[in-house]
Amino acid sequence: MQIIDLISQKNIVMNLDAKTEQEAIKKLSIKLFENDYINNAGGFYDDVLERESYTTTGIGNGIAIPHGKSDYVNESTVIFAKTTEGIEWNSLDGSKVRIIFLMAVNPRDKGKEHLQALAKIASRLMDDHFVRAIKEANTTEEVIQILSK
Amino acid sequence: MSLKIVAVTACIAGIAHTYMAQANLKKYAEKSGYEIKVETQGSMGIENRLSQEDIDNADVVIFAVDTTVSGRDRFDGKKILELGTSAVVKDGKSAIEKAAALVSGN
Repeated sequence: MQIIDLISQKNIVMNLDAKTEQEAIKKLSIKLFENDYINNAGGFYDDVLERESYTTTGIGNGIAIPHGKSDYVNESTVIFAKTTEGIEWNSLDGSKVRIIFLMAVNPRDKGKEHLQALAKIASRLMDDHFVRAIKEANTTEEVIQILSK
Repeated sequence: MSLKIVAVTACIAGIAHTYMAQANLKKYAEKSGYEIKVETQGSMGIENRLSQEDIDNADVVIFAVDTTVSGRDRFDGKKILELGTSAVVKDGKSAIEKAAALVSGN
């Protein structure tokens, strides 16, 4: 499974308006609920925040990858967002976050396909070319194109 | 100086940091011209499992882990640099440099 098979067009948000980490995660949780990937936005939100409480998911470079293994997930997926402003995320390098990959994982998933695609996203975030391209992307189509490579 | 490094990465959820740490260690080891093999212990189980021969031949071991290394006794007697996954995600270059320093005794 490729990254693009995991992240449907519906799960790309180009102008996320949020002031805080919590607000960003809440809004994206609601979007995942509307898109039918999760069955309880509040429950999923709590699970993601619990993970967030262990260590920050602000990995630096203006990117955050909050994630939750949650019983409220119907189907594992990722929602991508670019924010309208930099959000304080307690990042490893102190940078404010403008790019979010929120990962939703169904713990009952039998196969490894979804996890493999998530691992692929994680490792590509260490690739300077990928990061630069994703930061420069301004449209849903551009994001899809980068994630399809 | 050419170095052989083996590493294990593992994080709490086993979803993202395990694989970011793997990618960053490889990236900076390769930039320095070092050989590296990285075993991941994540939600997909153990992947790219290191053989005892890989471990025995390595100059140094890096554990980029937030949890217990499974099969830690395989590394008995080796020089081990232990870090959290976040440290490696943040600064893979210094992780590799520290491992190299451990070998040369600096």
